[in-house]
Amino acid sequence: MAERTPTTKNWLMFPLLPNAAPRQNWLWLAPYVAIGIFAMAMLILTGLLQWRELDTARSALEGDMHWAERTIENRLHAHQDLLSELGREQEFKQLTYESFQVKATRYVRDAPEIQAIIWVDTDGKVEWVAPNESTATFVGEQLSGARLAALQEALRVRRTVVSPDYRDGTQRPAHDIILPVQRGSADIGAFIALQSLETLLRATLPTVFTARYSLTVLDAANREVLSNSSVKPTDRQLSGTISLELPNNRLGLNIVAYRVGGAWLPFVPAGLIIILTLIATITLIKLRQHARHRAATEEELRAAYAFRQAMSESLITGLRAIDLEGRITFVNAAFCRMTGFDESELVGIKPPYPYWPPEEFNRLQHNIDTALAGKAPASGFEMRIMRKNGDRFDVRLYFSPLIGTDGQQMGWMASMNDITEPKRVRVELERAHERFVTVIDGLDSAVHVADVQTGEILFANRAFQNIFGFDTVGRNSAQVTAPCRPNPEWLARDPLQISAEELPCELFDGEIQHTLSGHWYHLHERAIRWVDGRTVRVQIGADITDKKHIEEVNLQQQKRLEQTSRLITMGEMASSLAHELNQPLSAIANYCAGCVKRMQAGNYRLDDLLAAMQKASSQAERAGKIIRRMRDMVKKGDPNRQPIALEELVDEARAFADIEAQRTGTQIIVDLPENLPRIVVDRIMIEQVLLNLVKNGIEAMSDVPFERRQLTLQAKVVDERMLEISVTDQGHGLAEEDIEKIFAPFYTTKPEGMGIGLAICRSIIEFHQGRLWVEPRREGGTVFHFTVPIEETVEVTHE
Amino acid sequence: MSNPTQTIFVVDDDEAMRDSMTWLLEGEGYRVACFDSAENFLKARRDDMRGCLVLDVRMPEMSGLELQEKLDALGSQLPVIFVTGHGDVPMAVSALQRGACDFIEKPFHNEDLLSRIQRALELDNQLSARRQRDGVISHRLDQLTQREREVMQLVVAGKLNKQIADELNISMKTVEAHRARVMEKMGVRTLAELVKAVMMVN
Repeated sequence: MAERTPTTKNWLMFPLLPNAAPRQNWLWLAPYVAIGIFAMAMLILTGLLQWRELDTARSALEGDMHWAERTIENRLHAHQDLLSELGREQEFKQLTYESFQVKATRYVRDAPEIQAIIWVDTDGKVEWVAPNESTATFVGEQLSGARLAALQEALRVRRTVVSPDYRDGTQRPAHDIILPVQRGSADIGAFIALQSLETLLRATLPTVFTARYSLTVLDAANREVLSNSSVKPTDRQLSGTISLELPNNRLGLNIVAYRVGGAWLPFVPAGLIIILTLIATITLIKLRQHARHRAATEEELRAAYAFRQAMSESLITGLRAIDLEGRITFVNAAFCRMTGFDESELVGIKPPYPYWPPEEFNRLQHNIDTALAGKAPASGFEMRIMRKNGDRFDVRLYFSPLIGTDGQQMGWMASMNDITEPKRVRVELERAHERFVTVIDGLDSAVHVADVQTGEILFANRAFQNIFGFDTVGRNSAQVTAPCRPNPEWLARDPLQISAEELPCELFDGEIQHTLSGHWYHLHERAIRWVDGRTVRVQIGADITDKKHIEEVNLQQQKRLEQTSRLITMGEMASSLAHELNQPLSAIANYCAGCVKRMQAGNYRLDDLLAAMQKASSQAERAGKIIRRMRDMVKKGDPNRQPIALEELVDEARAFADIEAQRTGTQIIVDLPENLPRIVVDRIMIEQVLLNLVKNGIEAMSDVPFERRQLTLQAKVVDERMLEISVTDQGHGLAEEDIEKIFAPFYTTKPEGMGIGLAICRSIIEFHQGRLWVEPRREGGTVFHFTVPIEETVEVTHE
Repeated sequence: MSNPTQTIFVVDDDEAMRDSMTWLLEGEGYRVACFDSAENFLKARRDDMRGCLVLDVRMPEMSGLELQEKLDALGSQLPVIFVTGHGDVPMAVSALQRGACDFIEKPFHNEDLLSRIQRALELDNQLSARRQRDGVISHRLDQLTQREREVMQLVVAGKLNKQIADELNISMKTVEAHRARVMEKMGVRTLAELVKAVMMVN
């Protein structure tokens, strides 16, 4: 894991951060530096070569210059020598015009720069001209200007003088070499050689020279007099100046070497080197970019591979590839882990696979056949397979075609998920749901959930459906539950106004009667948040009809118990009184009888008789005490007589009797005239009497046909004092002898009766100054009558 | 009239009842023994008690009926007269059904009680006599030898001596001898007496 983490991180960060390695930057600088050094070295070398070439050229120039200087000087010296020879001959008059002409013409032929050699007098008048054909000057021509000044200067200094440069007849620069001639001390004239500068240069310097150099003749004032080329070289690096010191004149010759191949030529290697360097640098940069890109791609690939590897390793889904015949070609780690088999044990195996449990064999074979036929369901196969150790577990297997790089299907890829746990969870969930449904459906209470907004019933259990119908879910709750529904005004809150924070919220808790079935339900309603967040009303309705009925019965019984307790006490008291009185009475009788016997027999002792008689009298006392105690009790339970309407009394008695009447199917008819006067009785006692008579009547009719089971309650005013009430049954009636005994205490015609009911009833009625009697009914059955006192209204009416 | 060996056992929780009953019955010359509860009577009871039991039905703890059941279980043959109060009639009826001798309702007339007691005592006498007689016959029967008893059973069954001899594979003389000894041991003179005695025991 520790190793994997950085990889994962790298992989995660990869798209943002190419894997830059700063430590390698210096390595990348090396080629640049090398290129730089190489470029510099080349440049230096080139510079050096240039410089050396220049040096050589300069040396050549200098040599050429010296050569040119010497040549020109020699020429000039030759001219001066000629002139001097001519002058000497003239001086000594050895020279004739003809010889002059020959000598001069001959010389001029060899020295074309000399245009003419002339002889001028001291005033500067041309007297001789050689060669004759020369057009530079003419005999008789008078020198003027600077030429004349130069002549005069020459005459004055008596040395050869060169005149300043001037333009000859053809406007070419020329100058005169003047050799004054004296005879004796007198100046006789001067020989002058007219030398054209241009021709001088041409004649003295070979064409090779002039082709190589640009020559410029400068006069004494450094003005340019003549140039052999119209093109002025701009580079004056290779140049030199020859200064020919002529008498009275200076001839400057500026020499500039023409560059071979142009001025730009020396820069070509440098340029090339620079271009080369640039290209190399750019190439290097490009290469580096490429390398970087490649490194990045590699890193990307590595990350992707690592990611895939990690994915494959960490996959919990088992992967298995099979070829078209079902032979396993690949399994991943998860698959091996799940099945417990090694990769080597699985790859290359055809079905049946070793992880097929024998009992599932047929099913799995069918599955694989289906899959190989390409008919595997999209939802996969759910199957049970076997681990190597024999454990079975559930898996889901999905098949998908395995397409090779050439687009052809190579086989089938299957992914296998262990669904034991999900299945268990699902089963658990299903069971939990089943339990939930069973519990909810098993409830007696009707449970349903309805949307607060729409009223739609979202859920209803069986009990609810039993009551309101089996198609209730989805219908409107208000309609469905209309017969048994709390009035909206009864709700604690308006459900529509409840906010989500207030949930859950009580809405209703109360008892409601189903208007159709008459059943009573205890409804408990709350507003809660439903599973999808809605506010819903949950209503739980428990059928409390039986409970309510029982409660009612209990209440009645309770009331009855209360009402009858006093009478029951009286009955029991009477019974126990009888028993208790028996004891002393029997004892007394025994004592007396014993005495009588003894006295009759005459066989007695007086003391014995006395003791017995004393015991008898004490027993009599005991009896008296019992009687007193009884009387005390009766006194304590003195009836509470109050005026009351008979109807009220009858209603109450009937309420109790109804249960019995319904059980036996007896109809109780109450037939009372209106405006009966109120009676003054102990309500509980008379109610008990009435109830007793009614129950007796019901029991008397227990074996007559149902239609005859009618009990009638009637009343009539007997006189101003008494009201008569009669209870008529339609039973079999009483036998004659029974009618006489029926009111006797402890007489009963009923198997489980105590025989005190009617006796007590009679006592009660007699207690009220009334009368209780019985008559047979003519049509069959019995009529019980009793009278009770009427409220004395005489005084009231008087008022 | 009363047998001096007979005693009237009165079981009643009411002291006055016991005392007055004793007074009355002793006045008639009976022997009276009183017990204030059924438990006490059971403690004192012996098999050879003679007389009758006057038992109050309603008593705290063990009632008269329960006592009767116990006595039945113990094999007592003492006649029982129940004394009941009002409302105990159904109880008394069931007691009679279970073999009580008699019952009398309180408050009773003393003559009523006395006549019932007299009857009970007579019953006791008869029962006692029968027990005694049965005892004598049983004793005599015990004295018979095996062979004598076989002969006697065949005689009682009405077989002739010859038949008996054939059946038992003995001689007529031997049968006659056995027969004479049986008659002697059983203390009867005629065949009829023998048959009666055997019937009684069985």
